[in-house]
Amino acid sequence: MDEYQAEEETAFVVEEVSKIIKESVEAAIGGNAYQHSRVNQWSTSVVEQCLSQLSKLGKPFKYIVTCIITQKNGAGLQTASTCFWDNSSDGSCAVRWENKSMYCIVNVFGLAL
Amino acid sequence: MFVCLLKVSICKHACPFFPPPLVGDIRTLQWDTDPSVLQLQADSEHGRRMQRLGASKITQVDFLPKEVVSYCKETQTPLTAHLSEEEEEEDEEMMEAKSGPESEQQDEDDNRENKEVLRELTEEERQQILHSSEFQSFFECSIRVMERALAEDSNIFFDYGGRELEDKEGDLGSGSSLSFSRLFYDEHWSKHRVITCLDWSLQYPELLVASYNNNEDAPHEPDGVALVWNIKFKKATPEYIFHCQSPVVSVGFIVLWDNRSHRRTPVQRTPLSAAAHTHPVYCVNVVGTQNANNLITVSTDGRMCSWSLDMLSQPQETMELVYNKSKPVAVTGMAFPTGDVNNYVVGSEEGTVYTASRHGSKAGICEMFEGHQGPVTGISCHSAVGTVDFSHLFITSSFDWTVKLWSTKHNKPLYSFEDNADYVYDVMWSPVHPAIFAAVDGMGRLDLWNLNNDTEVPTASVTIEGASALNRVRWSSGGKEVAVGDSEGRVWIYDTGEVQIHWREAQLSWWPSRWVHGNEKSHQ
Repeated sequence: MDEYQAEEETAFVVEEVSKIIKESVEAAIGGNAYQHSRVNQWSTSVVEQCLSQLSKLGKPFKYIVTCIITQKNGAGLQTASTCFWDNSSDGSCAVRWENKSMYCIVNVFGLAL
Repeated sequence: MFVCLLKVSICKHACPFFPPPLVGDIRTLQWDTDPSVLQLQADSEHGRRMQRLGASKITQVDFLPKEVVSYCKETQTPLTAHLSEEEEEEDEEMMEAKSGPESEQQDEDDNRENKEVLRELTEEERQQILHSSEFQSFFECSIRVMERALAEDSNIFFDYGGRELEDKEGDLGSGSSLSFSRLFYDEHWSKHRVITCLDWSLQYPELLVASYNNNEDAPHEPDGVALVWNIKFKKATPEYIFHCQSPVVSVGFIVLWDNRSHRRTPVQRTPLSAAAHTHPVYCVNVVGTQNANNLITVSTDGRMCSWSLDMLSQPQETMELVYNKSKPVAVTGMAFPTGDVNNYVVGSEEGTVYTASRHGSKAGICEMFEGHQGPVTGISCHSAVGTVDFSHLFITSSFDWTVKLWSTKHNKPLYSFEDNADYVYDVMWSPVHPAIFAAVDGMGRLDLWNLNNDTEVPTASVTIEGASALNRVRWSSGGKEVAVGDSEGRVWIYDTGEVQIHWREAQLSWWPSRWVHGNEKSHQ
């Protein structure tokens, strides 16, 4: 029984992480339109916010957070990623967010310690 | 668990005996185990750990590019046809050169391949095949047949001629009535879009094209969409889907879509230039015969352009529609009487109706007809062909809640139909019955007026449940169905139980006396 509890507390919960990412993105770039001068600080704040919230979870994980902000200009965008890890304990979460002028893609990878 | 951690740090360092304590580590370290034992255990644990690792699924993000429409020729032939020809030529040359020395080797390879077990295709190869153009074209054709077969409980290979005969036998129409037949709605493409125009195909009478305005809830979807629906089969999905960069207000010829090419974007498109239209084109008509025809378009700035379908880069002729040399007419509707390619009538935003001609000494606006108190939304010329010529009659619908009947010979309306309680958005004469027309209004009402029965109220009326405003009404070319488009992207098909042809002849003799001489008593 202890093991199960331990597993829950030390598993990568995708929904929880997804929620954290969405909140961070909304807080950072919420109702703004794409501005090249401010995009810099937006992406750093998204990443920092995500990471601080994730570390507050207190789980024994290493986290990698990436954030891509693309202006909606008619260009197509394709990204792909894959990992070689322990499928039972590690996990990743990708969140795609958009508004009328830009796309924001945040990837979080969690590797169990 | 504790021992585990100790081992990991041992593996990293060259001197394994006393590893430094890990900073910030929660677990305590144990020192009493023999280092050599630790080393052995380290390897095996580490090995087990390595075996537990595996590849994860690939996460992908895909955003489609916006299709940039650009044309430099007046007519654009499909590019793939040219390329494949070139490739074929090249291949042939290479084949000839290689065939000599390699033919022997190829034979050996072939033999070997036949003996080899067929290997499974990799994901890449599968994707390549699925995206190749041959597969796409095969797939496009066959999914239609499959969808029809699945939706249909009758024979999908049924023949036109046979079907028509069956319908006539079963038709007990003794007047005009409206019964609901079908609803066309596509979850993806019709949702949140207003229907701007409907048109029935002359070549295939069961095909109906509906154009849709932009979807404000989905800004990355194309602004303009046209769907082709088929009433013959029971399948509920459109036959063809076409996209366009700007909202479509009248379907479908200002931009020409080629059904045969597999692209969903326009094949030809008139350029936005000062020579053509710079304002929204609300009226589109094809006049003339099947072989010698012209496309006439009028925009809201009063400019009328005539185009040849072979060359859409510039209009053949343009004309400013101006009344009495003052400001141009803001045209909202245009109609040509049956058989006439020169004279036509237009309705305007101010509520006035004008007659006009394309050529001749009086080219341009001829006369003004006043009567409506609001913008004219729809205009339709009498179209049933018979012994008596009613082509001088036309009807108009307007925001002033009325439908008015006019004759081109009198500049005041002959009659006003005032049964509606909201903007009347569109009106159309029946193509086969001389006394019937249909009207739709903003309250979701579809009215069928039969002037032989009653002129005060419509003969048949139906309020479409769940519909908001009805924007367009179009009779099918046989006069048996009426297609209605509403402001939420739905196309409703109603059967009208249309009377047989021989009834029509009987009625005609009676009709003129009631209307043509009735202008003294015309109602406003």
